[in-house]
Amino acid sequence: MSNVDFPASVEAIRRRREEPGQAGHHDHGGPVAGAGHGDTGPATKRIIVGYGFWIFLLSDIVMFSCFFATYAVLQHATAGGPGIRQIVELPRVEWETAFLLMSSFTCGLSFAATNARNVLWTQIFLVITGLLGLGFVLLEVQEFIGLTQQGIIPQRSGFLTGFFSLVGTHGLHVSAGLLWLGTMLAQVQVKGFRREIVHRLICFNLFWHALDIVWVGIFTIVYLLGSIG
Amino acid sequence: MFGKLSWSAIPFDQPIPLITSLIIVVVVLGVLIYTAVKGWWPYIWREWITTVDHKRIGIMYCLLGVLMLIRGFADAIMMRTQQAVAINAPGYLPAEHYNQIFSAHGTIMIFFAAMPLVIGFMNFVMPLQLGVRDVAFPTLNSVSFWLTASGALLVNVSLFIGEFARTGWLPYPPLSEAAYSPGVGVDYYLWAVQISGIGTMMTGINFVTTVLKLRCTGMGYFRMPMFCWTTLASSLIIVAVFPILTATLAMLTLDRYFGFHFFTSDAGGNPMMFMNLIWAWGHPEVYILVLPAFGIFSEIFSTFSGKPLFGYRSMVAATLFICVVSMMTWLHHFFTMGAGAAVNTAFGISTSIIAVGTGVKIYNWIFTMYGGRVRFDTPMLWSLGFIFTFVIGGMTGVLLAVPPADFIVHNSMFLVAHFHNVIVGGVVFALFAGLEYWFPKAFGFRLHEGWGKTAFWFALIGFWVTFTPLYIVGMAGMTRRLQHLDVEGWRPYMQVALIGVGILIIGAICQVIQLVVSIVQREKLRDVTGDPWDGRSLEWATPSPAPFFNFAVTPNVEGEEPYWGIKQKAIESQVLSPEPDYQPIEMPVNSGVGFYTAFFASVTGFALIWHIWWLAVLGLIGAFIAFVVLAWRDVHEYEVPAEIVAKVDRARRAAREAFLERVEREGRLAS
Amino acid sequence: MSDLERHYDSAPGDEPQDSPGHWVRTYLLGLGFATILTIASFWIAAAHPIWGPAVPVALIVLAIAQMGVHLVFFLHVTTGPDNTNNVLALAFGVMVVALVVLGSIWIMDHLNQNMMPTDQQMQM
Repeated sequence: MSNVDFPASVEAIRRRREEPGQAGHHDHGGPVAGAGHGDTGPATKRIIVGYGFWIFLLSDIVMFSCFFATYAVLQHATAGGPGIRQIVELPRVEWETAFLLMSSFTCGLSFAATNARNVLWTQIFLVITGLLGLGFVLLEVQEFIGLTQQGIIPQRSGFLTGFFSLVGTHGLHVSAGLLWLGTMLAQVQVKGFRREIVHRLICFNLFWHALDIVWVGIFTIVYLLGSIG
Repeated sequence: MFGKLSWSAIPFDQPIPLITSLIIVVVVLGVLIYTAVKGWWPYIWREWITTVDHKRIGIMYCLLGVLMLIRGFADAIMMRTQQAVAINAPGYLPAEHYNQIFSAHGTIMIFFAAMPLVIGFMNFVMPLQLGVRDVAFPTLNSVSFWLTASGALLVNVSLFIGEFARTGWLPYPPLSEAAYSPGVGVDYYLWAVQISGIGTMMTGINFVTTVLKLRCTGMGYFRMPMFCWTTLASSLIIVAVFPILTATLAMLTLDRYFGFHFFTSDAGGNPMMFMNLIWAWGHPEVYILVLPAFGIFSEIFSTFSGKPLFGYRSMVAATLFICVVSMMTWLHHFFTMGAGAAVNTAFGISTSIIAVGTGVKIYNWIFTMYGGRVRFDTPMLWSLGFIFTFVIGGMTGVLLAVPPADFIVHNSMFLVAHFHNVIVGGVVFALFAGLEYWFPKAFGFRLHEGWGKTAFWFALIGFWVTFTPLYIVGMAGMTRRLQHLDVEGWRPYMQVALIGVGILIIGAICQVIQLVVSIVQREKLRDVTGDPWDGRSLEWATPSPAPFFNFAVTPNVEGEEPYWGIKQKAIESQVLSPEPDYQPIEMPVNSGVGFYTAFFASVTGFALIWHIWWLAVLGLIGAFIAFVVLAWRDVHEYEVPAEIVAKVDRARRAAREAFLERVEREGRLAS
Repeated sequence: MSDLERHYDSAPGDEPQDSPGHWVRTYLLGLGFATILTIASFWIAAAHPIWGPAVPVALIVLAIAQMGVHLVFFLHVTTGPDNTNNVLALAFGVMVVALVVLGSIWIMDHLNQNMMPTDQQMQM
């Protein structure tokens, strides 16, 4: 049976011995070091964690794109209620954009401090990032509450469903990011710059920047394009 | 206090679910109590529930998949039986119940049988083939499994508490909206699929990162086994499209729970958007299932023909081609929804084009066999059965890809026969082939050949006897999901299909007998060397079962078919390579976070289904705490001493030396 | 696995061999460009300094440019050989987003056009 009889191996040896001209497979020899194609073995944990999180972020962007697509499809389905032109408040959007962009900047500065292994400045810049992010969320909550009080609620029409869901999903992500930020502050304080903590800060950085990229899409497509009608 | 939950949720008035539930509850309780009495729980907790070992997680995935395959098969038997008797008659299943059965059948088969089985195989085999010790994120792997199990649990709970969805396995609005499905059925579906979908998403990320960043030294992209390429492609699709599923189901959930208007038929909602988005996920999903199946066949065809895979590079190209084009064909699931000629034509063309990729693969497998010394062991039989079955299924698919033709057979039994043809012929046959092939690697002994072959023949014949009549009645105009039929002329076809199901049942029984007989005869069937099939890839370099650290020393690959080269060198020189310098190995510690997270996810899901808000909040907090506890741990790895590594590896080397002596004695290799 | 820094492969957003000065400079540049692009977007939307129908196009172009600025200056996703995997993954993601968004808009637009007007539909 197959356990004892290795016909293919035996056959291959026989063929090599008796027909040396048939080389069979081409091959390029040993491993090529430094080629960047993973020939030199598994990558470091830092790269693995960063890349895995990058893939997760791309999947999250695909999820956002579904909400964008739905918003685009439903944007005129106002069911007799208000459209985008009626609910856009550009000054508020300007502040939200400024807050989020600055927070992306301070987040990057905090990581520079992490690379320099400076706990104090890492924490300071993380706190500033958090405050700016919190400012963004509060402005958005204020916007939603204001709309709700006027009876402009997602249950009113397909358009409002799309609007609240797209903007709200982004806001939820920012809020989750703030929760994560708080946890990281605690972890850096208690554990310092252990390897896993640095890896998580890499991931947080990626996440926070990606949220700003999504916001660029939102303020352009929802608010700016909406304001010109 | 308990939301919508009350005693009326238990189906006291419906005998079939009631008795089934009773039996399941008794069996499950019995197993749990027996395990406790025997004192096995500490071992199971330590070695299986909290494991982060990809091999064990893979086995658990497969176990879950097989259990759910049986449940899905039971649903199928009920449907075939109903349709065979309910011709100008009511049958034995009332419509509300029948609708739940076909919905559960599809949901279970796709999400909780096929996906776990395919993921289980990728989990077990891929790291071994890449020559590494585990996947990129072992703890995340455990979380993925337990979340999938949580979803499966919720679906099964719906059998005896409440009801399941009656909308089909993809809950189309407006029927699935709160206005027309006010019960808990659709909610069970939504939370079960959403929770397990998160698990699958994480698996996709895990596998992409593993294949791209975590291969052993020397294994460049074009030295990877074909199964790893298909794992990569399938995982890339998972990462790309599962977010669409998450978003779309979330939108339906918002509609149902908060009265939003994504897909409602009033206030500006657009039900057609659901079909569009859900199939943008749904079509790539079937390629998630079939690409690893193709990978399994690539391994088996080359091993059992004794030849390298023909056209390796074109296989890689075809795989990546399918990966990309699979995301460009989804509209063919709703040609009849009215997008018009231009759109339909574009997607009809893309659907026809994607068949080219599969065609390349089929020719490559056939050319792999040509000129080789083909052995007709059970895995090879399944592979040959696949070629025959899948090609015909694919051809009916190309027929359906033509919009005018599809207008006639859309949502008919012809469609049902087509997709079962490709899923059973492609995915299920691959899973059985892979089971026979890799079972010795997982458990240390082979499966009984005779019973394996018998099971195969019953499965192949049973499949064709079941589904050929369905093709015919589909062409004759029978639509899918019919609780009763009004056309007397279809009765013989339904009866033949039922006979086919009987043959399939015998095949399933043979499969179970094979397992039992193999366990009883395991010493006779023991795999002593770790290479029972004369394999060509690195998993066959390990002993059977593989040690928890996979390789004592991670391999250094020098050519395509890495293990083949090492083996030929050893046989030729008649000695093993010199004993390596054994070093201590770092392995990840076990973790209960997967189990705890899934426990709280189940609680949260159940609470949300029944509108028990306080319990849902508690569940979410519990899941968050479990997560933070994991994030706070200080010890991630433990060290395996070099002596243990050496001991395990020396046993492996002794077995290989014995094999070399045997080949020398019997293999006619005298120089 | 040793702690060698692998100079031919890096995770996105991570340049461990960068000096803090270089890092901060990159971020300042990124902030500067992003601010200019943002102000330009808001100005074009409010003041309409260009031909009307071109405004949406301009806004989208500016948005894409700003996303690029974020990717290059904040996320360090460049075309260096150490970044190939990251760029390929990004390209894959962009392709999927384009398929979902543009594909959905195209399909739904056609479906909506062919829908029977609501006043001719059955009132359920």
